[in-house]
Amino acid sequence: MFNFNKPRHQLSNDYSDGLRLNDLKPGEIGRVLEIGGSEQFRLRLIEMGLTKDTEVCVDKFAPLRDPMELIVRGYHLSIRGQDAQKIAVERIN
Amino acid sequence: MRYNIAIAGNPNCGKTTIFNALTGARQHVGNWPGVTVERKSGKYTQAEHKFDVIDLPGTYSLAAFSAEETIARQYLINDKPDVVVNIVDASNLERNLFLTTQLIELGRPMVIVLNMMDMATEKGLEIDADTLATLLGAPVIPVVGRSGAGIDLLKEKILRVARELSLKSRPIDITYPRDIEAELEQVSALLTASGDENRLVRWTSVKLLESDKQTRDEVRALKGGEAILEQTARSIEHIERLFKDVGRAVISHARYGFIQGALRECVVETLPDAVDYSRRVDRLLTNRWLGLPIFALFMWLMFKVTFDLGSIPMGWIDSGVVFLMNVISAALPQSMFASLLVDGAIGGVGAIAVFLPNIFMLFFIIAILEDTGYMARVAFIMDRIMHNIGLHGKAFIPMIMGFGCNVPAIMGTRILESRRDRILTVLINPFMSCSARLPVYVLVAGAFFPENAATVIFSMYILGIVAAIGSGKLFSKTILKGMSKPFVLELPPYQRPTLRSLVLHTWERGFLFIQKMGTVILVGSVLIWALGYFPTQVDLERDYSAERAQVNQVYDQDLSDLTAKFKSSVQASKSVYHSEMVEYKASSGYQELNDQYQTLRTSLSEAHTNQLYSLRQQEVGDITEQKWIGRIGKVFEPIVAPLGFSWRESVALITGFVAKEIVVSTFGVLFGVGANVDEGNLGVISGLRSSGMTPLAALSFLVFTLLYTPCLATVAAIKRETGTWSYTLFSIGYSLGLAYLLAFGVQYFGGIFNWLS
Repeated sequence: MFNFNKPRHQLSNDYSDGLRLNDLKPGEIGRVLEIGGSEQFRLRLIEMGLTKDTEVCVDKFAPLRDPMELIVRGYHLSIRGQDAQKIAVERIN
Repeated sequence: MRYNIAIAGNPNCGKTTIFNALTGARQHVGNWPGVTVERKSGKYTQAEHKFDVIDLPGTYSLAAFSAEETIARQYLINDKPDVVVNIVDASNLERNLFLTTQLIELGRPMVIVLNMMDMATEKGLEIDADTLATLLGAPVIPVVGRSGAGIDLLKEKILRVARELSLKSRPIDITYPRDIEAELEQVSALLTASGDENRLVRWTSVKLLESDKQTRDEVRALKGGEAILEQTARSIEHIERLFKDVGRAVISHARYGFIQGALRECVVETLPDAVDYSRRVDRLLTNRWLGLPIFALFMWLMFKVTFDLGSIPMGWIDSGVVFLMNVISAALPQSMFASLLVDGAIGGVGAIAVFLPNIFMLFFIIAILEDTGYMARVAFIMDRIMHNIGLHGKAFIPMIMGFGCNVPAIMGTRILESRRDRILTVLINPFMSCSARLPVYVLVAGAFFPENAATVIFSMYILGIVAAIGSGKLFSKTILKGMSKPFVLELPPYQRPTLRSLVLHTWERGFLFIQKMGTVILVGSVLIWALGYFPTQVDLERDYSAERAQVNQVYDQDLSDLTAKFKSSVQASKSVYHSEMVEYKASSGYQELNDQYQTLRTSLSEAHTNQLYSLRQQEVGDITEQKWIGRIGKVFEPIVAPLGFSWRESVALITGFVAKEIVVSTFGVLFGVGANVDEGNLGVISGLRSSGMTPLAALSFLVFTLLYTPCLATVAAIKRETGTWSYTLFSIGYSLGLAYLLAFGVQYFGGIFNWLS
């Protein structure tokens, strides 16, 4: 029987120890390479426009360092650091 | 003709503003069946055609992840609205059109509304609406919802689309990469062959490739369903091998590709350096150092306005209720009915009606926070803290408001999107010590810990917070485990709210509270009244009127004895020194005798009053003991005995179910002072002290008061917001259990370690 549900997505080996979104500093821009984590989380992010190759700007961190504020496709989005850690990026500025 | 219109769109796209602009104030707020998602409907008439409008929950997608998404999707598929009005934020087109690409596949006639055109212009976006309409296969109407510009045109367009239904306008298909299209074709062919004519073939095929469980279940029931699912599995495998990701991610990616292609053709950015004003405001409001202090200031203001400003009309309502009670009891002859009406119904509902100004004020402020966009920043700032108890940052607001009153606070949990977060916040909210508990603390702590009252009261507040945090952690690891949603929060641009929308929001939510007052609270108040009223005939072992007569007789006797003695002493001393009465009365000897007499007389009269008072106290106690409420108190006495309580405390706690501050007036009644007492009343204080209650029992009484179910109104609010009796009963049971456990702990360990003795 084919398994329709893939509850978790492991990052590919290429990115498994590379740069993550939460490693970027405020003002830095990254390009999304791959999103790991629970299916619900990653698909929600993809629906919110954080697809592969999208450029993401880290705008700032909340006063208590978490969550973080991103600018994606011209709007502001906030996610937690622990989740940003599952997003492999490359720095482009 | 009558048409059904559904309004769909992202959160924060101004959906509600357009809904209000279309329907005016003629709207109805309820819940979707089975869930506590707000369901708003309204109607309007255009050129003699009637339109029923339903405002679907704001969603970013039509996946069936959340209750909101499921509702929106089910409604669009099953109820087949005549026109879908898709609101998109023109200043944030790219992400807003993602939902549009899904709506297009649902194949309903659609009108796309480019809302917030003013903000788009400010951002320097020039949008070619006609080209966009061609690309999306549906009319596109630019509007500014806040000012109402473009609404008339929109209404006209809706009417035309609704009437041209028979003309079969052919909408476009979103095209996917060739490999996906090939797989879609395979699945579609089988679906078409299955002969289910009502099915949206393309939508269903896309959803199947997206591994959508709901669609899969529906298809399985079709003729040849298993074969379709087998093909689906093959197609998905193929896509995953090719694109190295799941179907849904690939398809979503392709949707964004389609959107980007469309926007390249119809949007020109004229001001690449346009200032992002919201971002500037946020440099201050969510600033690393200033963000928290500013938020604290806003919270303080919110609390101040809600409870200080709210206390003014509160006074009016209170005097209004008292006035009404007086007028009615004066007009009606003394009867059971009069007592039921005045003491039960009016008194009970009145005790809760006084919270109306607080509730409306709070909802008004929450509406301001939501409509301006600051609420999302609250979540952003507080998430770190609330995340510790497994909650979303926004949950901080209802928690803080609980210090004022749990009822509006619990109703305020509507600001949370996830049902699990709402339930968790609702369940721990009653531990936040509301203002109605304060009079009880003041009375009991004042009576037993006059030196350290402030410390005792303060520690009650702290204990409440600790209980809330501890229970929150416990619940999120047990009964509400794993239902948590990922934190993905949009921070929408700041906006100036319109008064109209603020008032509508406030009224909608406040009205729900008024509805509740009429039902649950009325029934509860009458029940408690009946327990205290029946049985009307009580047999007292002691004959109190005889005892009172006895006391009066003794007093009269003593007084006349005293007076006679005084007179004879006066006579004797006068005859020794003086011949004239006038002369004698000026002398020091007389003065002395007179002073002595007056002092004795006063103390005699005081003793008499005290005797009568204590008799009255015992009588009321005896009477209450025989009323149902007293009997129940007696029944509970052995249960509460380990906490150090007598039947009196158990009666007070039972009546406290109606509202916590009633505990004070119950003590007033039990100690014969009457119900109209405040927490500073010396009669009640001395009554409490002489009732045999120990300081340790007083402390455990305070702990119990803090933790057990706050009041009927709160229970009603919990029922309203969780939507089920099971969570409501659980909340009552849990708080009673925790109250008992901790009060017992105080009594037990206090006894062992000899605290307070």
